[in-house]
Amino acid sequence: MSTTQRILPKGVAEADFDAALSLFRDTIGSESVLTESEQLAPYTKFMMAGEDADYIPSAALLPNNAEQVQELVRICNEYKVPIWTISTGKNLGYGSAAPGETGQVILDLHRMNRIINVDPEVCTALIEPGVTYQQLYDYIQEKGYKLWLDPPAPSAIAGPVGNTLDRGVGYTPYGEHFMFQCGMEVVLANGEMIRTGMGGIENSSSWQVFKWGYGPYIDGLFTQSNYGVVTKMGLWLMPEPPAYRPFLIQYQDPEDIAEIVDVLRPLRISQIIPNAVVIVHTLWDAGTHVVRKTYYDGKDSIPREAIERIKQDEGIGEWNVYAALYGTPEQIEINWKIVEQAFGASGKAKIMYGEEAEQRGGGFEYRAALMKGDMNLQEFGLYNWRGGGGSMWFAPVSQAKGSETKDQTELAQQILGKYGFDYVAEYIVGWRDMHHVIDLLYNREDPEETQRAHDCFAELIDEFAKRGYGLYRTNTEFMEQVAGTFGEPLRNVHTALKNALDPNGILSPGKSGIRQ
Amino acid sequence: MYNITTDRYAVNSNGTNRLPFRLLSCTAVKRLAIVSGLLLPMATASLATAAEEREPAEVYRQVCSHCHNLDKAVGPMITMPFPEGAWEVRGNHIRNTVRQGRAAMPSFREAKISDAELEGLIDALLRGELANAAVGEE
Repeated sequence: MSTTQRILPKGVAEADFDAALSLFRDTIGSESVLTESEQLAPYTKFMMAGEDADYIPSAALLPNNAEQVQELVRICNEYKVPIWTISTGKNLGYGSAAPGETGQVILDLHRMNRIINVDPEVCTALIEPGVTYQQLYDYIQEKGYKLWLDPPAPSAIAGPVGNTLDRGVGYTPYGEHFMFQCGMEVVLANGEMIRTGMGGIENSSSWQVFKWGYGPYIDGLFTQSNYGVVTKMGLWLMPEPPAYRPFLIQYQDPEDIAEIVDVLRPLRISQIIPNAVVIVHTLWDAGTHVVRKTYYDGKDSIPREAIERIKQDEGIGEWNVYAALYGTPEQIEINWKIVEQAFGASGKAKIMYGEEAEQRGGGFEYRAALMKGDMNLQEFGLYNWRGGGGSMWFAPVSQAKGSETKDQTELAQQILGKYGFDYVAEYIVGWRDMHHVIDLLYNREDPEETQRAHDCFAELIDEFAKRGYGLYRTNTEFMEQVAGTFGEPLRNVHTALKNALDPNGILSPGKSGIRQ
Repeated sequence: MYNITTDRYAVNSNGTNRLPFRLLSCTAVKRLAIVSGLLLPMATASLATAAEEREPAEVYRQVCSHCHNLDKAVGPMITMPFPEGAWEVRGNHIRNTVRQGRAAMPSFREAKISDAELEGLIDALLRGELANAAVGEE
């Protein structure tokens, strides 16, 4: 029962914590209350820069069902014990399974991994937070349903609930995950359980098909927030189309990014190209399977000369567009002609699909897998690019306009260069928006380099915000700073909601910069 | 409509998720907590022993293969057999890497791979039993 390193939740006396631990054990069993440092090792900070000492949990709780979550939350309220909720804990580069701050108790929902329902007619699913994409994929395969998932890059080992609640994205036409979420079951801080949308109606058959329910729509309050613990979530699944054509378009000039986005925008808005398109820079496209030192071994940012050699030797463009067409073969042929005409107009693009695209040196194979919802972790190869396993995702949002790209790209390259890091980036074109996703890769085994990465990330946030670009999501080390860029009036509303729904501040304090 | 699907896709290593499930009102849960203060943990504990472990090959397929299969090469090859004299050292290395992460590899906690499953996986890896799985063969 004793801990080898006694870490206590902030503001909680040791006797009170012991009393809470005892009640936790009564509720979920001793084997589901972890307090030994060896057991808690997987819940410590991983890829993100920051002090290790700032992210050590005091305990971890592993409930098996929502009723146990209700009881655990009531105990936390009684003893003012702060908990940090995770599901699969694979939010890599955003905080993973570690708490938001030292002393918090991890509420680990991974054991709650029931697939409650998959309806092949209305193409919906109702699942618990611990369900992984791989698990749901296997289930659908075994049932023989013609349904696709939309995994993010960590796919198999991550899960739909956690990713959707963090407003993550994927690469099929269902890529904006929160847009395809429908209905939640939520345990509130006081232990009460609610169901959103149509879920409050007993015997409703429309919980997973009609998002809005009646009255204020509140599902969004439980994303990127700390107002409740989501214990079930509905999502929509894409019916497998009769035909699918992934394709690759390469451009060779750094300046071409503006043309690419302007050509893409109308194709995306009109849904000629219905999926989340990625425009991948050379270093990202190479970095999933090439090691940096093959081309450059310096500590500073990789020079232009080496980037040109990579392009030449690996068959990769400066910008590599991965997108796909979906529908009947006839629809695809028509839309392909439109794509060819649109991108072919300037004469700069190399447009390809099938064998020709497969033979290029970039990531066509894994991109083609992700754009049809298959499990694929090839993108983890990026962690080997520089080596050392440090990674933080910097992802400002802008309009999908070519005029928004040149300054952003140059600003990112300038700041990354100042700190000696590489521009490993892609633009993801949503429907009308664009995420400029940059993976700040560094050697986390090197304290000096880790500190540089930390300073670099902080400067990126501030400098992009000054120019009107805010982040769509960030890691636990920088949540406070990013919340600040969105202004005090919004933060005041977030705080008011927190005080109303969680007056003791026990749920994930600090998530998205929200506290009492 | 809230019947819980209980099949092998609920891959929890702790068999408690196979409890017949019924949604309880908050009041009912409170009552349960009050009246069965001892019964609840006992029930949980007894069910916890009914663990449903995944076979090493299944754990490898679900978790490891996506990076460590030869055609992925995101992580190093881990399925080659080791000489028996090195099993303890190699086993400790795998165990620590799985639980604490290393370089590009994330950690995997007990809720994802149970202790028993991890030990089975280590044993199968050391003996080279998963060598075929790594090249995509059944």
